Amino acid sequence: MNRRFLSLSPVRVLAALAVLCLTPLYATVDDALSFAHECAVPYVKQGFTIREDAWGGDLGVKDQKAVTAQLFKGNEYWFCMATDVKGAVINVHIYDSQGRLAESEAWQKGRFAAAKVVPKATGTYYAIVTIEKSPQERTHWALVYGYR
Amino acid sequence: MMRALLTGNGPSAKLIFPMLPRLITTALCGFAVANALAEPPPATIDLSKFPAAAVEDVVVPVPSEIFIVLDKLGTPNWKGELRDNLGTNTGNRAQIALLLGTVIADGFIAVEAEDSEKVKQIGQEVLVLADGINVRKAVIARSKSITDKAEAKDWRAVRSELDGALQDVRGAMQELGDDELAQLVSLGGWIRGTQVLTSIVGQNYSPAGAELLNQPELLNYFARRIDEMRSKNLKKEELVVKVRKLLRDIKPIIGKETITVENVQKVNKLTTDTVNAITSEDQ
Repeated sequence: MNRRFLSLSPVRVLAALAVLCLTPLYATVDDALSFAHECAVPYVKQGFTIREDAWGGDLGVKDQKAVTAQLFKGNEYWFCMATDVKGAVINVHIYDSQGRLAESEAWQKGRFAAAKVVPKATGTYYAIVTIEKSPQERTHWALVYGYR
Repeated sequence: MMRALLTGNGPSAKLIFPMLPRLITTALCGFAVANALAEPPPATIDLSKFPAAAVEDVVVPVPSEIFIVLDKLGTPNWKGELRDNLGTNTGNRAQIALLLGTVIADGFIAVEAEDSEKVKQIGQEVLVLADGINVRKAVIARSKSITDKAEAKDWRAVRSELDGALQDVRGAMQELGDDELAQLVSLGGWIRGTQVLTSIVGQNYSPAGAELLNQPELLNYFARRIDEMRSKNLKKEELVVKVRKLLRDIKPIIGKETITVENVQKVNKLTTDTVNAITSEDQ
């Protein structure tokens, strides 16, 4: 297999390199969304229903976005965030309408982050998403949530 | 990493395999340390400092997000909330969009009632209404999936498909440049969902049940969507005017700290009138 790789013509190698170099240009929020759904898989297994609706976009390093959500007391929610940018570090935290940290759990592992909230009251909550670091100037991100 | 470790040649696999537990433990510790080293989030933040452009609009919750809470609070008579007549398509696009939203909400009620025949009927009705606003193609697969999963009584999957149908319809409408009409689909679903919520809470009142009506930001969002409609004709549609009035009338009622049984009944009357107007042939 290695030998076959070495026998590739320089043109093919250049073409392959060009594809590799161009790949980030074609990275989209859709890719980030796929990762966000991947991040949510363990919670689906725990009985959470993941919403089809999702948020996403691109942010610069240390930029934040507040995502507004109507949550209901009596439910549990997991917010799962991801990026398609390798090497990026992101996070998500949930605050109530008074700006108080409302999550009961949160974790962050490189391109994935998640936070759980069991609302103490029905109302408006904010998922604050942050790009902590990234090798790229703008980083695509996506956020989904599940409830049970 | 795991794959590389497990697919080595015999000797190296033998060499590496005994190290696996230690490597996995190290990796997990690494994650834990990374998590522990991450700066803890601030206990409070000043939301007013977020520029408007950095705040995303609220995502409209699907009816089942509320319905499953009601299920936890008691044993609602979901079958009693289902309608025999899902409404008449009058050919008016605003009416069809609102009606489609109410029918999808009925799908969620039928799921709570675990009524597979009703779910299948609703799946077909979604298809017919989607045809009326040129987005049939977008929901054909969903409609079939709703029917199949209702047949299998896989209720969680039906919920997901109904949510998906809502997104597909809205997405297809946005592609057609009908994003304002797409908002009406969401609104129709919310109105029917609120009608059912208030009916159930009104029958067996509890402050915890009534608290589910505390949705001020969602109301503001819907009102903004109508107020900012670019299409003057759509904004002036009789039903759209009625829906805007409904939002205006409901706002002070549910803005209070405790929502009384009288106010729950008031909201039920207002939403019932609006659902009747949406489903009526007189539009």
